Amino acid sequence: MEIPVIRDVLEESNARAEENRKLFDRHGVFVVNMMSSPGAGKTTLLQKSIPLLQARGRKCAVIEGDITSTLDSEKLSPLGIPVVQANTEPFGGDCHIGSHLVQAALPHFDLANTDILFIENIGNLVCPAEFYLGEDRKVVVLSITEGEDKPLKYPLMFRECQLCLLSKMDLAPHLDVNVDQIKENIRRTNAQLEVIPVSARTGVGIEEWVEWLAKSRST
Amino acid sequence: MHELYIAECILKSVADSLPPGMNPQAVEEVRVQLGKLDAVVPDTLTFLFDAIKTNGGMPNARLALSEIEVVCRCENCENEFGIEVPVFLCPSCGSGNVKVLRGRGITLTGIQVKDENGEDDGNSGNS
Repeated sequence: MEIPVIRDVLEESNARAEENRKLFDRHGVFVVNMMSSPGAGKTTLLQKSIPLLQARGRKCAVIEGDITSTLDSEKLSPLGIPVVQANTEPFGGDCHIGSHLVQAALPHFDLANTDILFIENIGNLVCPAEFYLGEDRKVVVLSITEGEDKPLKYPLMFRECQLCLLSKMDLAPHLDVNVDQIKENIRRTNAQLEVIPVSARTGVGIEEWVEWLAKSRST
Repeated sequence: MHELYIAECILKSVADSLPPGMNPQAVEEVRVQLGKLDAVVPDTLTFLFDAIKTNGGMPNARLALSEIEVVCRCENCENEFGIEVPVFLCPSCGSGNVKVLRGRGITLTGIQVKDENGEDDGNSGNS
């Protein structure tokens, strides 16, 4: 016997994301889902940009998605902001943060006193791109050390995001990387994707990234 | 490996789609469409589905996957075109202002169940 059905298999995941979304809307929290390969510099960029946001009077919070450690949370603790670790398993686990993990983390925050919530996703250019968490914006961090071909190899990630932070720009003089080719490959994958070259070490682009957040939050 | 989570979601979607009172063990085939843009590896998804289906209450279920090609529409010249490689530029006018029409999303499109002579589904036909 045939049971006719047309059903999005991620409907439950999306339903939880919508519940998150409603909570964010109720409290006026702007939520950014940050994704990248492992080691692209997400945590360091947050370390550099959150103080600038705080200087603008913005109250920030972070959900840290690490598979196995609290190292990233510890890096952010000097900022004096709420950080909730969404660990999976001590010896490996999920390849992405799911909407259910975000939902489980939210009671630990005072959302009424939060302006911007960063979800620092698990380092992976494939899986996190698939899942909506209830965020306002998706941002991919691509370090110039990863090669020019990454946008073409991981198109869903670059299609889903609204901004690409091209990180570790300070290393450009020391590498054979062709930054223009990276930008061209981003354009070929998603011509609407904004690109901001940044360096957490020199501060290049950090103000522009913070301004992008402020502008996005007001639209 | 998000295929494991997706396999779990498929089992949950099937369970939620069965008529009330139907035994999930009656499920013989589960049809799912995979958008090519979703970067889901069909063999991996099938392997993992088979690995967890017994614990999911559907030991007899076979996963039948079909892949949906990526089709885009140019918002500049309204040309519709399929892509084989992930370059989202209109072949007609070169614009990058393209919208993905098909090839994104994972959809449960059908469930085949074994007739249980009325015990579970109240039907008696050939499956």
